[in-house]
Amino acid sequence: MKYIRSGITFGLIGGALTLLFGGWSVAVIGSLMGIGLGLALGGSFERKDPLKIAATVLPSALVAAVILVALSFYQNSVVQEAIGKRPFAANLALNANLIGFFGSVLFAAFVAAIHGLPQNQERAIKIALLATLVVLFPFIDKLTALRWTAQIIFALIFVILGLGLNIVVGYAGLLDLGYAAFFAIGAYTTGILSSPQHGIFLNFWLVIWIAAAMAAVWGLMLGAPTLPLRGDYLAIVTLGFGEIVPVLFKNLTDVTIKEPLTCWILPGLMNLFGAQTTMSCITLVEHEDLTAGDKGISPIGRPSLPIISPNEAVGLALVVKVVVLVLIVGLIGYYLFRAISSKQYKRVAGLAAGLLAAIVFFIPLPHPEKGFMATFMAVIQPGEFKSNDPTTWYFLIIAIILLSIFVIQRLRDSRLGRAWMAIREDELAAAQMGIDPVRTKLAAFAMGATFSGFAGAFYAAYIAGIFPSVFDFSTSIIILCVVILGGIGNINGVIVGGLAIMTADRLFLPALKDFLSSLLTHTILPSISDPVVQLAVKDNANPILYRFLLFGLTLVIMMAVRPEGLIPNAQVRAEMHGEEATAEKAKA
Amino acid sequence: MLELKDVHTYYGNIHALKGISLTVNDGEIVTLIGSNGAGKSTTLRTIQGLNKPRSGSVVLDGVELHKLPAHQIAVMGVAQSPEGRMIFPRMTVLENLEMGAYVRKDRSTFNDDLEHVFKLFPRLKERINQKGGTLSGGEQQMLAMGRALMAKPKILLLDEPSMGLAPLLVELIFDIIQEINKEGTTVLLVEQNALMALSIAHRGYVLQTGEIILSDDAQSLKNNEMVKKSYLGVE
Repeated sequence: MKYIRSGITFGLIGGALTLLFGGWSVAVIGSLMGIGLGLALGGSFERKDPLKIAATVLPSALVAAVILVALSFYQNSVVQEAIGKRPFAANLALNANLIGFFGSVLFAAFVAAIHGLPQNQERAIKIALLATLVVLFPFIDKLTALRWTAQIIFALIFVILGLGLNIVVGYAGLLDLGYAAFFAIGAYTTGILSSPQHGIFLNFWLVIWIAAAMAAVWGLMLGAPTLPLRGDYLAIVTLGFGEIVPVLFKNLTDVTIKEPLTCWILPGLMNLFGAQTTMSCITLVEHEDLTAGDKGISPIGRPSLPIISPNEAVGLALVVKVVVLVLIVGLIGYYLFRAISSKQYKRVAGLAAGLLAAIVFFIPLPHPEKGFMATFMAVIQPGEFKSNDPTTWYFLIIAIILLSIFVIQRLRDSRLGRAWMAIREDELAAAQMGIDPVRTKLAAFAMGATFSGFAGAFYAAYIAGIFPSVFDFSTSIIILCVVILGGIGNINGVIVGGLAIMTADRLFLPALKDFLSSLLTHTILPSISDPVVQLAVKDNANPILYRFLLFGLTLVIMMAVRPEGLIPNAQVRAEMHGEEATAEKAKA
Repeated sequence: MLELKDVHTYYGNIHALKGISLTVNDGEIVTLIGSNGAGKSTTLRTIQGLNKPRSGSVVLDGVELHKLPAHQIAVMGVAQSPEGRMIFPRMTVLENLEMGAYVRKDRSTFNDDLEHVFKLFPRLKERINQKGGTLSGGEQQMLAMGRALMAKPKILLLDEPSMGLAPLLVELIFDIIQEINKEGTTVLLVEQNALMALSIAHRGYVLQTGEIILSDDAQSLKNNEMVKKSYLGVE
């Protein structure tokens, strides 16, 4: 019975979403809902008979699917009409609903059944399933004309930011309230180094590393004088830094740098001795508009693919690209060699795939022939990343996220990672163990800043323009919420948190706004005679206006119901629910 | 081996140590006894670099510890089982012990040392994957001592190892201290339980309001009238 209840809950949530999005969304939402239901139910079974689990889950999956499809049909027949949109053609709607129905039932049963397998097999299948979903998503999105990919990319940018901040807040336990400043530094570095603003057009694949390094350097520069501070004091200093950086970028519109020796020191000395000065002053930069103020920098150069294109045979760009290519292939090759010599064949397969991907990614390809590979080739077609096709961008940011997760996991399990955790637990005791607190905290700040540098560079290139208002305090807070809501100190939690918050903000709210405004236009608004009231109703029925209210409400509810986050770190959960756990143990 | 010369330490304006001089020789157990607030823990904190002496010197095998920050003093071979134990509450027993070995560069003997600590404290092995914060007081004391031993220190500083423990456990802990010492680790022991401390130590110092008022070998201190009256509770 309790399974049926979760089936009803999931069906209602999925159905409500199809009401908003309409069209083909029922197919996608159905499949995702099935996976969610399978995950939610599967955990409560014993690890033995997969088929039996599937059979037990089936009724509730069917209930969920029926609710979903019923709401979807209702949407297409009644709601579309009511909000004044043309209903979806009947045969298409039938197809979409069939896919949604079977997708949700099959996925729910399959994902739940996986829980019956031994743990390592369950893990392997789940990873394979996730990888398939991630790879197929943009293509499905294109086929179903939902246009979600572009918004998902924003969510993924915040995932990287969350992962970076998680190093600082989750691992080292330092509260950073100005993290968006490093995001801004990464973005502005990219903007300055590859835009017409200064006539510098460095290649994106180079700039992204410079941006990350720049953010890291600023992390060190902020950290060095302030990290001996603890707790609340450090939080206040980071808050100040977070306020200063956007203001600085806003106002660096008239920069003059004079060489101090010839301009002030020597003339000053000569004046002191009463001599007339006719010395010429060396000016390095005069009245340079570094950041273009509120107007922002645009357009910013986009990355190009492959890294070495056939028509780019000479010059610095080629040298840079070859160096990057050699580095990447060399690194993967080195690990591959080590994996082969230690006979870890699973790793060999993974690394070989990586090597192949690197070569495909960077080596020039012949223009795609029409036919079998055409769709795939269109993605990795030589040339610039396009603004009208998010697919390539999507895969780029997925690659950056995978790289970040790999590096962060290695860091977490390293000597440095342990030192971070010791500092978080007890700074004094850590010092007694021989850990240098200041250097360890500096490393956390610099590493955290590095990842926001990557995110900033990607963001600047993706938007192709940057503006100081993007990097204000609320951005820092949203990133912090991604970490806390998802589960502080847990990589999976941060990913889920970032996706949840940003899809709600970027997908759900705009869809709700469209839905409400068309609904009102066709129902209540015409019946209101007073034009002032009519306008007021129309303007205020915009949920985007209330995004921070809704956001705050979510936070309050989350902190009351589940303070450890969506997917908590085991240690944090033990701390927050320690008493309950021991009580349960005592009962058992 | 370890020598403190005329050490003055302050907490703000409070003059906590008023010219402490003491020596600990290789292979000894030396104990500091004294009442609350006499400056016993402050002396250990000063050796460890958690409080800096305003004047005076702390020298370990020719290295001037008072010029180094705390984390480098740990590298020099000073490990402490601190007052209040200060274990890492959200790390497991094993992770706590691994943190103890943080200063060491040689990984090869890590497993042997771990086995050694588990031999001294079999209880820790039973709780190897339990979080430090969920251990009982006695187990936490064992963990703090085991963690300090994992650093293979030249000198082990023990701050009130008997505090808050059941009498039976106190006996056990003191037996283990003697065993550690027999294996060649020098021990500086701070203790309120003067009788226990003096019965295992080679030498002792008596502290009163930041000054050393008596120093002698442990047996003579035990028989000293003043010590008997003030610290051993013998009328």
